[in-house]
Amino acid sequence: MNRLGILTFAISVVLLSPLKAQAPKAAAKTAAAVKKSAAPHTPWGDPDLQGVWNDATSTPLQRPGGVGAKDVLTDEEAVDFQKDLEHDLTRDRRDGGPEVDVNRAYNDHWMDARRLKITADHRTSLIVDPPDGRIPPPAPQSPEREKARAARAAANARFNAGLPDSYRDFSLPVRCIIRTDSPPYLPTIYNNDFHIFQSPGYVVIAPEMIHSARTIPLDGRPHLGKNLHQWLGDSRGHWDGNTLVVETTNFRTDDGVTFLGTNPETFRITERFTRVDADTLNYEFTVEDPKTWTKPWTARIPWTKIDPREQMYEYACHEDNYDMVHFLTGARAREKRGEAK
Amino acid sequence: MADGHPDLNGIWQALVTANLDLQDHEAQPGPHPELMGAYGAGAAGQSIVEGGEIPYRAEALAKKKQNFEKRMTVDVSSDKKWHDLGDPELKCYMPGVPRATYMPFPFRIVQGSSPYILIAYEFTSATRIVRMNWKGEAPTPSWMGWSRGRWEADTLVVDVTGQREESWLDRAGDFHSEDLHVVERYTPVSPYHLMYEATIEDPKVYTRPWKISFPLYRRLEKNLQLLEFKCVPFTEQMLFGRFGKEATK
Amino acid sequence: MKPIAALALLLATAGMPVSAHHAFAAEFDAKKPVKLRGTVTKMEWINPHAWMHIDVKKEDGSVEEWMVETGTPNTLLRRGFTRDSLKNGTEVIVDGYQSKDGSLRANGRDVTLPNGQVLFLGGNSADAPDSEKSKK
Repeated sequence: MNRLGILTFAISVVLLSPLKAQAPKAAAKTAAAVKKSAAPHTPWGDPDLQGVWNDATSTPLQRPGGVGAKDVLTDEEAVDFQKDLEHDLTRDRRDGGPEVDVNRAYNDHWMDARRLKITADHRTSLIVDPPDGRIPPPAPQSPEREKARAARAAANARFNAGLPDSYRDFSLPVRCIIRTDSPPYLPTIYNNDFHIFQSPGYVVIAPEMIHSARTIPLDGRPHLGKNLHQWLGDSRGHWDGNTLVVETTNFRTDDGVTFLGTNPETFRITERFTRVDADTLNYEFTVEDPKTWTKPWTARIPWTKIDPREQMYEYACHEDNYDMVHFLTGARAREKRGEAK
Repeated sequence: MADGHPDLNGIWQALVTANLDLQDHEAQPGPHPELMGAYGAGAAGQSIVEGGEIPYRAEALAKKKQNFEKRMTVDVSSDKKWHDLGDPELKCYMPGVPRATYMPFPFRIVQGSSPYILIAYEFTSATRIVRMNWKGEAPTPSWMGWSRGRWEADTLVVDVTGQREESWLDRAGDFHSEDLHVVERYTPVSPYHLMYEATIEDPKVYTRPWKISFPLYRRLEKNLQLLEFKCVPFTEQMLFGRFGKEATK
Repeated sequence: MKPIAALALLLATAGMPVSAHHAFAAEFDAKKPVKLRGTVTKMEWINPHAWMHIDVKKEDGSVEEWMVETGTPNTLLRRGFTRDSLKNGTEVIVDGYQSKDGSLRANGRDVTLPNGQVLFLGGNSADAPDSEKSKK
């Protein structure tokens, strides 16, 4: 499943549990409010973002058609919104026939329960810009990029039919190369944990999947040279008041796969991390790629400090990825039996 | 650091060849020298084991030899035998502790003002979190183990348990059981060196605990950062190529 | 607000199913539902999927060794489960779908104990589906 497929899940399978008081306003707390609060700082004077945070929510990335132009719901509307989302997303439904049921995979409690809750500010989409809450229209694609996109779609189709040609038909997450650790960070069905570490001159973010760490130097050094490309890009950060601003460039792509089919040469991300209170951090990202979208777009996702009794655990992946063989030997067995689809 | 402990922040790297073999080893051709010549050949190295030799139980030594003979053999066709053959490093599996420390790649220590220290390794972007002054045990084994740290004067002492039994200690087939218990000591000896020691204990495999030690050097290049060594794509053809459509025609 | 109920489908771009990180329909056959009653011989607490091995006794007395695919163990670990939580010999009922290639593998769509209790439900953290805190 490519990043587009992942985004589809992320759109509808994210959750925030309101473990603390509800925020009454639609907009994130203003900068003025943040400055008023005594934001904690590290001993060396940087705003303190350290700890383990969870970003799960059911609020979709894009505003659904049914809500019209509303960007924020009333308390009453929010109850219904959350209930409907929960109904769609829960794995403990058995209706819809076997074709639908098999994809629910297993019992709901294997998933992150917080993904069934909308954000505390009752927004109808994680996207805050453009104002319609939807990804902007696509830019025209070159024939070369269109060909790459079609090849990727064909590989996905073979995979979904249970007839992949080779491991190259699998998505990067299925191959255990990258998953939620590739920025921008989007909520997903489980393991929505991010452990933030800090030291003088650095912020380092360790997402649970797939066990990697993103180092963000704060000393103003230039990005890596343009011939160095990384799956997680190359990040540089600085403080803007209490907000950590991170610019990420130098992305790579293998087999034509990138975030939502963007062009790695021109794709860039700007993220903003602001600690709002003891248990909440506002994560906001703006993505731009003139070769993919007609304009940049921005999403805001609240992160919540996890219960201290919880931990982030190791997510090894490639080491025990039996399914790589299951998918392939299964396909060969079915081909032998003459099963086309 | 503000709490009075030494500042271990930075990028560190070992210069020993222990990842090839913890014990004394001569220079050796690599796999397939008929193709690779001097590429992939291994340098000679002196043992980093105190006393020179790893004190294996007799039956365990036989398994080490078997590991070494099959270090380049892989066969993942059966789930039950998925881990039976081949050096985990060959397959780009996370190396565990202490092997991650002496792999020929840099790693970064991130020490802040929280109860956790992060160690991020360039090899396969592996990470481990050292939980400071922590009581709880590992809920299940993991590839990089369950690390609990504490300070003893200027030494960071890290107690590592709960490692997956499938990891190896080097390419020579040195191995352990799931009862492996490692105690690491990171001691600054200058602004540019840490002295690293690890005591390794596993009564199922060794007749007594044994110790390794070597310096860790601070990488000093301007603007140095860990780059990505995501080696999974380098192993997929080897592991999964035989199950593809082309291969089975 | 009923139109919102269909939002998940509205948002499904390019006809991609709204489901797990990989489409289970790619591996498991909706036309081959299984209901297995067996005893646990091994629980592999591994990622990306934990695997439960069960021995299923057939009517003719023979035993089939099935492998049941479940989710990431990390969610369960956070609720206080450990690898000692499921004892070998425990009897379980697996309601799922068999692997498309016909091997003795299924996804654990619904896994219960004989008394009807859902396996691994409960636990002791704020995230537990049935804990008091999560009822906020």
